Amino acid sequence: MAFDFERSEELSLLVRTARELAEQQLAPAQRDSERARGVADDLRRGFDSVGLSRLELPESLGGAGLGALARVLVNEELGAGDPGAALALDPAGVALYAVEELAGEGALGELIAPLLDEPGARALLALAPDGLDLGTERIEARLPWVAAARCDLLVLLDRRRAVVVREGLELEPVPGSGLRAAGASSLSVADAPVLARYEDEAGASRALARARLHTASLLLGVLRKASEYARAYAQERVAFGKPIAHHQALAFMLTDMHAAVELARLLVHEAAWWIDQRRDDAAACAACASAFVEVVEASRFIGPAGVQVLGGHGFMQDHPVEKHNREARALSLLLGGVDAAREDAGRVLAEEAAPVALSTAQGEGEWTS
Amino acid sequence: MDFLIDAEMGRRLAAAREWGQAEVRPVGREADRLGRPIPTNHPYFEKVLARGDARTRWRPGSRSAGSAPPRSGRSRSTVMALLLAEELAYWDRGVGVANPGPGLPEGNVIGAGTEEQKERFLGPFLEPDRPRWACFAMTEPGAGSDAAAIRTRARRDGDGWVLDGAKCFIGNASRADWLLVQATVDPNRGRAGQRAFFVEQGTPGLGGFKIEKKSGLKAYESTSFSLTECRVPAENLLGGERPRSDRPEGFKTAMRTFNAGRPVIAANSVGIGRAVLDEALAFARGHGLLGRDRVRDRLEHMKRRLRAARLMCLKAGWLAQQDNIVEASLSKAMAAQVGQEAATFGMELIGTVGARGDHLIEKLYRDVKAMDIVEGTGQIQRMIVARKLVGLPRG
Repeated sequence: MAFDFERSEELSLLVRTARELAEQQLAPAQRDSERARGVADDLRRGFDSVGLSRLELPESLGGAGLGALARVLVNEELGAGDPGAALALDPAGVALYAVEELAGEGALGELIAPLLDEPGARALLALAPDGLDLGTERIEARLPWVAAARCDLLVLLDRRRAVVVREGLELEPVPGSGLRAAGASSLSVADAPVLARYEDEAGASRALARARLHTASLLLGVLRKASEYARAYAQERVAFGKPIAHHQALAFMLTDMHAAVELARLLVHEAAWWIDQRRDDAAACAACASAFVEVVEASRFIGPAGVQVLGGHGFMQDHPVEKHNREARALSLLLGGVDAAREDAGRVLAEEAAPVALSTAQGEGEWTS
Repeated sequence: MDFLIDAEMGRRLAAAREWGQAEVRPVGREADRLGRPIPTNHPYFEKVLARGDARTRWRPGSRSAGSAPPRSGRSRSTVMALLLAEELAYWDRGVGVANPGPGLPEGNVIGAGTEEQKERFLGPFLEPDRPRWACFAMTEPGAGSDAAAIRTRARRDGDGWVLDGAKCFIGNASRADWLLVQATVDPNRGRAGQRAFFVEQGTPGLGGFKIEKKSGLKAYESTSFSLTECRVPAENLLGGERPRSDRPEGFKTAMRTFNAGRPVIAANSVGIGRAVLDEALAFARGHGLLGRDRVRDRLEHMKRRLRAARLMCLKAGWLAQQDNIVEASLSKAMAAQVGQEAATFGMELIGTVGARGDHLIEKLYRDVKAMDIVEGTGQIQRMIVARKLVGLPRG
């Protein structure tokens, strides 16, 4: 039916599996993972045993072949557990999107699939830094921060192409602000030979859109957890003779935090639906960019507010809200950050036909929101 | 999950758009320019009548129990109704309220009224011979958001009831055939002591109608009136003397009207915001402003927030048959806020053109403010949500 918010049984089961993993394994270990700048082997085994690293890999390559909606639902759960660990546990990461969208299944099988059998392997995707020409045979670049302690494959993406490099990659540990469980390094690409170059403007847009959605959904999980944690704390902590949640200033703040998560989630789900529909690339890419911006804007409120509700306790590492606040900022800086996403969404809007901006007819008499 | 508006929904929305553009927007702007509600003899109302839009959805002999469509069907019809509410508000939200029909109290009469009351009060709306209105009167000068604090009294007197009190800001009151008036029969019982009474126009003691001058939404009348020794027969008590045990009564009945209405107000807010967005886009395009990052960024913000608010509103509607109090209240609080943000930005974008007072965006800026006030302010909605989320105590 049209406008159905119900999840299929398959998706519900998947979410339950991801939630159990996040609550029973990732979250309890989050401070250990952060300190170790990596995940323990038992976490990796748990993640692999439920098949989450092969979620979007095509079935022909041994994956589950699921789409963007499955990905964002799973990511929200993993993000609520530990977003850094979620990155560390997924060898393909968002690099999968660039290879799949620009090069296709054959290249996925050749470049990405083998990494999934190698414990601790990481493929990384980064937007080409300003001024870097991806048309040359050898690449010279420096990325100030990547959320990784290891890089087996680097995909650099610009507006119309992607290049893959595997050699000449040097990582140097940096302290890291958030996502430390995934590692924190600066990455030098020193005279690296281009292993493969793929030219496809539409593919590059879709790859970036899916990567933004992936990141947005992890961040959404962080925000949900921050909001839930603060809410639970505020119902137990007593000040001036009653739970602090029963002081209206705090009650309204907690309500607005909940609302911000809900609004952001709806845009994330709708964007994922657009991606899975594969019917209008411009709309899908704009929806992903918008969803990313919405989640990041929500994080500017929820991250600090989560700490604020706990007061001095929130500032201490005994509670996870200070970590949520750091993770939120780090995630929002990925893939060119919020300004690049806002620019992409705004450009699509400016090009839309006047006058009706939200109720746009979409082919064969069907409409979408 | 599915976010598609299918072809049938699309056709109904296209028809609403055509009607809105041709009839609703012009009559709404006319009322705004003249600064008064659409007169009852305006040709527009005859057109509404001819379209069949002024009819009741109640059918003689129908009972809500046993004939309900399956849940998915209900959800779909609620989603459709919200999309239509959004579309009509896009063209003019005030005109939508001014439209003849049984209006706000219809749901309560269907849900809580006796069969005789439905026949008597909704019957004339089955095939109305002329534009007819009804209204629901809850708000009082001293009781707005705190609806439990109403002071209008109803006391038993022989074979009838006598009402005394004053109501204000009541939509369509002076033109209504009957007014469903909320009153307290027992002040000691607080909310539980409230009941609703049908008061027919012309009843002695009902009077003092004063149509208020409003900031916006001028197409419909918001009216104050008084009840002085106003006697109504016993059969005018909604639900009768002994309401059926399976029907909600008193305060709960009144609140049900507002619960069902919140996503509609949210949809209205999104519709007004969408109108601002389209006007702002057209202005920006016409004035060569779309090349500026700051303008594009703010337009993107407006569109994104409206889109999110719409989805929240539709989700509340989709959940209408379940416990959707949190979603309904949040959708209303958020959409009203988003609509206001959009209109504020629209004013800033058009600059002093807006200050002239004759641009549509300026009208929409005045109109949309009411969305954060009617049927529970944004603050009341947050209190309702907070009660559910964190157990915020009442009072």
